[in-house]
Amino acid sequence: MNYLYFLYIQFLLNHNIPKIFGDITFPFIPFCIVAAMIIFVVLVLVLLERKVLALFTQRKGPNRVGPWGMFQTIADAIKLLCKQNIDILGSDKFLFNIAPIVVFVPVMMLWGIIPYSSEFVFMNFSVSVLLYISIAALPVIGIILSGYASNSKYSLIGAMRSGAQIISYELPIMFVLLSIVALSSSMNLKDIVYSQLGEGAILCWHVFPCIVGFIIIFICMLAELNRCPFDLPEAESELVAGYNTEYSGMRFALFFLAEYALMFIMAAFLATLFWGGYLPITGKYISEIFFSDNQFLPVFIYFEQFFWLMIKTFILVFLFMLVRATLPRLGTQSLMKLSWYLLLPLSMINFIVIIIFKYFIEGGVL
Amino acid sequence: MFLNKLKAIIEGHFTVFKHSFKKRITQEYPEVKQDLPENFRGVPDWYAEKCIACKICEKVCPANAVRIEKGVDNVKFGLNLSKCIICGNCAYNCPKNAIIMSKNYETAVASKSLLIIEKNSKDNNYE
Repeated sequence: MNYLYFLYIQFLLNHNIPKIFGDITFPFIPFCIVAAMIIFVVLVLVLLERKVLALFTQRKGPNRVGPWGMFQTIADAIKLLCKQNIDILGSDKFLFNIAPIVVFVPVMMLWGIIPYSSEFVFMNFSVSVLLYISIAALPVIGIILSGYASNSKYSLIGAMRSGAQIISYELPIMFVLLSIVALSSSMNLKDIVYSQLGEGAILCWHVFPCIVGFIIIFICMLAELNRCPFDLPEAESELVAGYNTEYSGMRFALFFLAEYALMFIMAAFLATLFWGGYLPITGKYISEIFFSDNQFLPVFIYFEQFFWLMIKTFILVFLFMLVRATLPRLGTQSLMKLSWYLLLPLSMINFIVIIIFKYFIEGGVL
Repeated sequence: MFLNKLKAIIEGHFTVFKHSFKKRITQEYPEVKQDLPENFRGVPDWYAEKCIACKICEKVCPANAVRIEKGVDNVKFGLNLSKCIICGNCAYNCPKNAIIMSKNYETAVASKSLLIIEKNSKDNNYE
């Protein structure tokens, strides 16, 4: 981020604008970048989801609007924006309006803490992992608000289910994150990425000592995202659409946006923790080979790091979609059983094993 | 027990993933038309040169969609597609095979009046 800040201040000074103006307006630049990225990525993800699900069921998916149906989601988004916002009789108007925003804002904040490359981390805190846990639990408040304010039985049941689900799946996530923190002895995401740097390239990733933890956190992320097979909060055959049954138009679009943005950012978070984040799969940067004499080599490397992170993220998103295409929905009972009886004890055991591994093999806890 | 379940889940994922390499089933309709089966029943076609105006088709039609009028030197055929249920009775019962079920199933029109087909054996431009 310092590089971008430097460029911006330099640009302002060249035009005789005081530095204090730059300091005040600088936070808006990452905000605009993140907002633009969210819109773009969600448009891509919705299309990708429909295409990939079509791929798994031997269909073609959207193929009418533009080449290969590329503009289908844009058409959908325009349709959604032009729709009427319906006010429900007997609903709590203030809570009803504020719920989509409460869901969307934390998701947008999460986009800031991921290190996209070694330079572009919008919010580089020393306790990013802790921040992630606390922010990622916030959207459920918005979901419960929306269920409560809608004055509808479907919304309320969906919201209650979502709350119960996220509370019970939060614990295994924390234990797995703890084992990652123990492995890399840092809570800063950038340091966690650096701790996966080594001679062995892929072999140094945290996914190899912590494979059980990776599977656990993958399952828990599916549950936190309310995706198949844990899509009880919006179970179509039981609850119409769950907590967003009564929403339409722009408010529904915000829920939709938050869902897909959260899916992408969770995949990016998993890639950062377990798959080496922005580190290259090949072990060496490709741009080092092609542009070794170029004076802009660092800039090329930043973009290449971003490229590697995106590849890993999209592989994880693809896995999310594969799971959705394969597994049927769980019952409420078995959902709770899976978390409390299986995942939580397993994640605790995994944590202890990882600490022992760290102490005896890598030497010392620090 | 637990391992069996896990194995089944993993096998399921592989099975679903394999589908992505198979041939697509979707046919893009207006450009690519479906291969119709041999006994497919579309809109009934009337052949004036075979028709003897016996009016059997008019009698057997359960929806009263077919009408045959015998003139002095011509035969008129009327078919109301808004009534026709494409059951194929007229074609089955015709003694001279003057009515044959065609393969045409695209019958959407802009106005109701276009659904009434009138043909005259005197006109040469019937189809």
